[in-house]
Amino acid sequence: MAAKSSLFKVILLGDGGVGKSSLMNRYVTNKFDAHLFHTIGVEFLNKELEVDGHLVTMQIWDTAGQERFRSLRTPFYRGSDCCLLTFSVDDSQSFLNLGNWKKEFIYYADVKEPDSFPFVVLGNKLDVADRQVSTEDAQQWCRENGNFPYYETSAKDATNVAVAFEEAVRRVLAVEDRGDHLIHTDTVNLHRKPRSSATCC
Amino acid sequence: MMAESTTLEPRWCSYFFLYDGSKVTEEGDPTRAGICYFYPEETPLDQQELLCGQLAGVCRCIHEMSRSPARLVRLRRRKFAIRMRGDFLWALGCTMDIPDVSAWAFLDHLISLFRFYNGSIRQSYQLRSKEELAPQWSHYLDHLQGGASELHHIFSALNTIDSTHIDPLLLLKAALILQACQRCPLVVAGCISYHGRVVSTQMPPELTAMVVVCQRDPQNLDFAPVANGLGSAGPQTPSTSVNSTAVFLSPAELHALRYPPVDRVHRSVSHPQQTTCAGKPRLLSRTLSDIPEPTGLVAPRASFQTMLCSTGSSLSDEGGSAPRVSPEPTHHPFPSPASGSDGQALPHFLANQEAHQAGWPNGLPLPRPEDLRNEGDLQGHTYKDSMSCDNKGEGATEKRGFVNQLEKLSCVEDRDGTRGTKESGKGNQEDDHKTSEPVEEELPLVAMALYRHRVRGLVLALLVEPHFQNDAVAMEEVYHSSLASLNGLEAHLCSTALEPSSAQGCPYTFVHYDCLQNTLATNLPFTGPPVPAGEAQGTVLVKAAALLHTHFSQDAMLQEVILRNAGSAVYGTCNSAQETYFLQQGATVRNSGVPNPQDSAFSLPTKARHKLLKHGLNLL
Repeated sequence: MAAKSSLFKVILLGDGGVGKSSLMNRYVTNKFDAHLFHTIGVEFLNKELEVDGHLVTMQIWDTAGQERFRSLRTPFYRGSDCCLLTFSVDDSQSFLNLGNWKKEFIYYADVKEPDSFPFVVLGNKLDVADRQVSTEDAQQWCRENGNFPYYETSAKDATNVAVAFEEAVRRVLAVEDRGDHLIHTDTVNLHRKPRSSATCC
Repeated sequence: MMAESTTLEPRWCSYFFLYDGSKVTEEGDPTRAGICYFYPEETPLDQQELLCGQLAGVCRCIHEMSRSPARLVRLRRRKFAIRMRGDFLWALGCTMDIPDVSAWAFLDHLISLFRFYNGSIRQSYQLRSKEELAPQWSHYLDHLQGGASELHHIFSALNTIDSTHIDPLLLLKAALILQACQRCPLVVAGCISYHGRVVSTQMPPELTAMVVVCQRDPQNLDFAPVANGLGSAGPQTPSTSVNSTAVFLSPAELHALRYPPVDRVHRSVSHPQQTTCAGKPRLLSRTLSDIPEPTGLVAPRASFQTMLCSTGSSLSDEGGSAPRVSPEPTHHPFPSPASGSDGQALPHFLANQEAHQAGWPNGLPLPRPEDLRNEGDLQGHTYKDSMSCDNKGEGATEKRGFVNQLEKLSCVEDRDGTRGTKESGKGNQEDDHKTSEPVEEELPLVAMALYRHRVRGLVLALLVEPHFQNDAVAMEEVYHSSLASLNGLEAHLCSTALEPSSAQGCPYTFVHYDCLQNTLATNLPFTGPPVPAGEAQGTVLVKAAALLHTHFSQDAMLQEVILRNAGSAVYGTCNSAQETYFLQQGATVRNSGVPNPQDSAFSLPTKARHKLLKHGLNLL
């Protein structure tokens, strides 16, 4: 397992302007551009990393936060292995909208078991002095909504960015491990010959 | 004379050859020494010699007698579009049903492609062998013959994605990617194409047509800017590639790119030309770019590309010829009076010439005829040819001066007032016997680089300064600023059904050609170059379009035509900005004989106007 590189799709969701593209760029290219234009639709970058001995290729999908781009972004939710719900600590509305983003994701990604799906919550723009969302409020929301891990990040000065993405990978790996157990117990072996005792008519 | 070998020959290019007359000057020189390239390559050498020798002789003869270069030679069931430049002669043999104007455009495009990727023809053949260069011609021929539909060939139109079937936001996204790349000052302009079809471009149509050629040149080494350990490669390495190659632009092309005709002066007619084929206003692109505009001296030079157009448009809006002079001259050659198919092109051409002599719209001093010729020539060969035909009487002196002026022009092109107006005395007396038109390949080409980044079917092509290739920082910056967006755009386009609209169930079919952006809109299916025999309606419309396109290109006064046979009627209309062809299905079968005023064909123009509005096309 350690030698094989698996591809995980991780998707960044959150209101427009909270810094999703900046987080992705900071993590993958270690650059920050204060003058990025709105993302239109979706974009993605790949990043190879090793987490706990697992070689992983993380495909980070960055999405448009604005409502008018909804129809462009939603088709790409499907197949995600982890969802990073992002808000900006200096924008309380973006925090209040987290629930809507979660719902939208679960709906369009067609998540079978929403309760066990790995979400990670990111409070970005930690560098901004004037914050509107307290750490406690954010942590409380995470506890109440499924015990999601919470990270306060800053794409601008690279605080906690790598840690957050690595946590996303750990979450996916954890779910896969659980999945592996399920496969062992619940699999039906299709190659086994059907019982010959069954007769027709 | 040559064996008409098979019936499966491609109609657009049965033969193509490049012949260098300077290699065959003495009686004893074999013709084969002058054949630089011959297509089909497997043609026996003696047959190649037969055709090249005959055609070169005929063209030389016409040239000597008429003092104007031969443009078209009919030979049994083929016709040959001819381009003569200095000692070089290019000939493209196609079937008779191909419109002359389209055959010339095809040939000119081929020549321009070679020039764009290899530089001057003379130098190329001095530095490299025929065998080395043969794959180049073959590659460009493949490119020109493949992919595009018959209609695209007829109009020499850019192959664009069907913008009516994709979210306009994706066009915006593409335009923004190009703009983001321009934040690097070494990037001049860009173009994004998807499976060979243009999505968004910042370049004029003729340059866009160059950069969308898919790359098959093994000499261009791929490099990997991801080698810095950022690991953007990953699973998509095989489908992602970045490379850059040298390309060659004429000074005028480069100038048009560097200082595009942004509407900073009062030019009312400039808007259609500024919009690129994906509908992106060039203005937007430039205001966001960080490239400093040399204010103060841009006005006269920057507007030169559109000046001819605006002059023509303002004087004769109905003249279908006006835009063919400047925006894409290579695609719409003038039939030259002496050697064109029927010699009817003279009046409209003269009309244009008068227009220029009336003075520039921006109040510049009246240029002399030589200057006009410079402008025309810099924009393409066609215009110059037509000009030189008309000025043959003035002899070779001016032509020498003209070449010199071109040389000077490259040095002084940013100093207005001085551009090329001074006669240069040197060389006037020499080579008097060589009355061939100015040797275009002496025109100083500017070496640039073309950076290409491919993400599966999506290609970002950027014209960059030559030293961009050695600037690892700049290259990495461009790469990283565009990678995520290109990935995303590719994903979007991949998930969008890019099937062209079908005329199925639609009671009419139409073809709308935008002369300025060099694009086509139609509801005919674009599948495959030949129109299937079953597609009766499509075939009729395509045939009619080919026929009428020829007429429109030859007769500037022609604006509207209704073309009928017993079963159908096609309405065609043409003005300086567009050509439109409209076929109403289920027209009455009684459309024959002398038309009476009640004939349904006469209602076609109104119908066309109404129906096309639904497709966002406004017949002017």
